[in-house]
Amino acid sequence: MTTPEDYYKLFFESEGEAERPCVIRAVDIKKIYRTSGQEVQALRGATLDVYKGEYLSIMGPSGSGKSTLFNAIGALVKPSSGKVYIDQVDIAQLDTNELAWLRCRKIGYIFQSYNLIQVMTCLENVMLPMSFAGIEAEAAREKAIKILGMVGLSHRVLHKPSSLSGGQQQRVAIARALANSPEIILADEPTANLDQHTGQEMIDLLDDLKRKLGVTIISATHDLKMLQKSDRILWIEDGRIVRMAKPSELDFSSKDFH
Amino acid sequence: MTAPATTSAIPRQITLPMSVAFEVVMQGIRIRFGRSVVTVTGVLFGIAFLMSIFTGIVLKQGLSSEEQLRIEVNRMISFLTAETGQPKGHVLGFIADGPLKPAEVKLLLALDAQGLDKLQVVAPTTVVLPVLSSTQVQRVSLDAVGMGVSGILWTGEKEPAGGWPSAFKNARQAVLALTRDGAKPEVVSDIHLVLLASALSDEQKIKEEAAAKRESFRNGWIITISLLVTVIGISNAMLMSVTERFREIGTMKCLGALSAFVRRMFLIESALMGLVGGILGCAVGFVFSVLVYMISYGFAPALHAMMAGLGSLVLFALASLVCSLILSTLAALYPANVASEMVPATALRSSI
Repeated sequence: MTTPEDYYKLFFESEGEAERPCVIRAVDIKKIYRTSGQEVQALRGATLDVYKGEYLSIMGPSGSGKSTLFNAIGALVKPSSGKVYIDQVDIAQLDTNELAWLRCRKIGYIFQSYNLIQVMTCLENVMLPMSFAGIEAEAAREKAIKILGMVGLSHRVLHKPSSLSGGQQQRVAIARALANSPEIILADEPTANLDQHTGQEMIDLLDDLKRKLGVTIISATHDLKMLQKSDRILWIEDGRIVRMAKPSELDFSSKDFH
Repeated sequence: MTAPATTSAIPRQITLPMSVAFEVVMQGIRIRFGRSVVTVTGVLFGIAFLMSIFTGIVLKQGLSSEEQLRIEVNRMISFLTAETGQPKGHVLGFIADGPLKPAEVKLLLALDAQGLDKLQVVAPTTVVLPVLSSTQVQRVSLDAVGMGVSGILWTGEKEPAGGWPSAFKNARQAVLALTRDGAKPEVVSDIHLVLLASALSDEQKIKEEAAAKRESFRNGWIITISLLVTVIGISNAMLMSVTERFREIGTMKCLGALSAFVRRMFLIESALMGLVGGILGCAVGFVFSVLVYMISYGFAPALHAMMAGLGSLVLFALASLVCSLILSTLAALYPANVASEMVPATALRSSI
């Protein structure tokens, strides 16, 4: 029988890339959804390493298992089989309490539709994950103001999200994702709801974070500009990873990207 | 490189203090004020109904004890005058060995009002007599009572120490009226014994008890139904609130909120609305019930009954409030559970 450890050897030790520190490692993850008696295999065994400080893009048509893979490596969904290690820790071993800690401190989430808490001001939105982390209110406020300044929103600190433009809301969401200085940022189509110009700004901002703070960024995206900035691009189709490439190896004018 | 460690090096997420959940809830209620008002109104009606029934019970008791007293005094007067004739211009003897009952006080006042001339009183000095306006009160000894009187009122319950007064021997052809049930003297010739205290017959008692039981059962049934409706209303509103906030809850979980925190948030929200609805409902139910009684029984009697039952009214109001708090929290248990068990990945779904 092939154990996950065997898979791990099979896929990585031979490639000589295991030297780089690995933040997330997924080994042969499968996910089966059961809905009204029907089984849907969303993932049919995906294995990948995400290295520290890299910018990984995940591409795939809808229904390809892209979201499931994204959720699984983001500790949002437990795979039916296979292992996901975040910082060398098997997340299947964690209870809900430890998972909450992980989501709070290790990972910052950015959503396609921003998902700001509408009843709170920008400042409170950014402070929320810090208060979940038990940071004292005054310190949290100071840090939140600093981060909001970093994403260029110092003048909108006390506004409610509904009074901001899409781009500004996404900036608040990025600030919130950065609140607890996570090592990993998971971004689910972060530019899908933005126009070309603001999308570009967002990409530059993420790229900046990667360079300056060394955070690992994983994003599901179809945005060409985002793909071009990535270190690696991963294709998923029908629940399997079919291709992994660097942007320099790709022809962005091909029909795959349109 | 070694195989990844499987032992967990992840600390547990801290549990947030109540105040943080409370703050988030307050913001939520403020921003969704309209919906909160609707939910609170639902609670308000349920609790107002409960409180109005409670108030009704208290007021009715107060009013009916007044009413019973009036009926009792009327009956005593008519029994007495049937034997002694109208009290106007007459002399009556009055023997008491202890404090007077309200009915006896009223009886004396009524006799006074009807023009009784003189009252020969045999009583310890500790017995307080009502102030009479036209009747002359004359304290006499037990032996002297009965001279020239048309009747003697006896308020004792026991045979007096030393046997029945010899005075009765003087009271030829007099009427001895007993205001209480208890010891009766052996009938001496020429004395008419009149029993003014008439306890209800057993049959009547059974009837009244059955009627009271029927009413309390009916009240209990109506209250149960109305509270059930309230609970279902709150539950429904909270479920709606949970569904509405699916993404928000998912996002909070992505940011590190514990399930317990999410559950607590919804329980606090519901309890808060229950508290506000309970306070308003108590006030509305009380005012409504008092108004109804004032309209149907007059201002003064209703007010009097209300003041008499103030203690029990306060207790009932507290009970309604506690009831409101408990029910609203219970009603939120299921919605809060739905919310807390939601998976964080819900936050990523873009089309909700």
